[in-house]
Amino acid sequence: MRQRFCFQKGNSGEIARSRLKLLLVSDKARLSPGLIDLIRSDMICVLSRYAEVDSGQLDIRLTRMETAGAKEPTPALSATFPLRQFTAKRNEECF
Amino acid sequence: MSEVMVITSGKGGVGKTTTTANIGTGLALLGYSVVMIDTDIGLRNLDVVMGLENRIIYNLVDVVEGNCRMKQALIRDKRCANLYLLPSAQTRDKSSVNPGQMKKLVDDLREEFDYILLDCPAGIEQGFQNAIAGADRALVVTTPEVSAIRDADRIIGLLEAAGMETIDLIVNRIRMDMVRRGDMMSVEDVADILAVNMIGAVPDDEDIVISTNQGEPLVDTETLAGQAYLNICKRITGEAVPFLDLEQHKGILIHISRFLKRA
Repeated sequence: MRQRFCFQKGNSGEIARSRLKLLLVSDKARLSPGLIDLIRSDMICVLSRYAEVDSGQLDIRLTRMETAGAKEPTPALSATFPLRQFTAKRNEECF
Repeated sequence: MSEVMVITSGKGGVGKTTTTANIGTGLALLGYSVVMIDTDIGLRNLDVVMGLENRIIYNLVDVVEGNCRMKQALIRDKRCANLYLLPSAQTRDKSSVNPGQMKKLVDDLREEFDYILLDCPAGIEQGFQNAIAGADRALVVTTPEVSAIRDADRIIGLLEAAGMETIDLIVNRIRMDMVRRGDMMSVEDVADILAVNMIGAVPDDEDIVISTNQGEPLVDTETLAGQAYLNICKRITGEAVPFLDLEQHKGILIHISRFLKRA
């Protein structure tokens, strides 16, 4: 018999809430959540031509922002890439 | 030999998706290779119940339209290496796929998997016709409520008319306390009315809500519902398993309160 899966009674409602937030944003943006992971790895690839990227620490998420002219908030990609060190010149290894 | 099973109910909200997730996971835990297909185009949910929503890139409609290969769209489960999900499309509608295309897709998967589970949308329209097109057998999910049983009866009629040879019934959300005091139909009552083989009953358990919140099926965990699902999986594979006593595990409090009532 399997152990009770990470059965932390009392906080699964909170887990549900945070999962739903992500889910609804990607539904509204009509963007599959998995594609965000692809964008993430492509961006790491591009950035590592210029700097050493701390990929364990980066944060990329789909949000919504007000834009001039649009009635509803539009989807926006927000990303923070901690960079350890810039390389002196363009690294051609990637791509 | 592979088997294609459609999980259907007619009425919405009786637990088709939860049942699919738990049976798929349970069959995989028993060692079979399994793929679950979410056929509810436009309202996909099996990915969330499995906790795999963040891995979706391609979907069922992409495969049918040839935008990607089957292998690219199949998502491997977090825990079971022999369990896969083919997610539905969220931004398309039911008419994006026809029964002929579904049948071909399912037949292509037979070579690689022991069990192919189709999570059917509610209703009896095209989504239902798509889901049953390639299926060898059907699991009809119902709850002990008049509306759900009526819809299950209609679905069973449609399945029989479509030539479905094996139809089994799962009675979901049974509350033994209510059955005991005569306020809910028993599992046997439901099975009698629908006159199909009852393959298992699942108690109405708060653990199901917790499991869905977390995106982790609870089959084979130390919960009554988890054991009920595992037993259903074993019966699907042909093993004769006695029915669970759904009143067990209820804990000492119930027994004390019953004793006090009697006194």
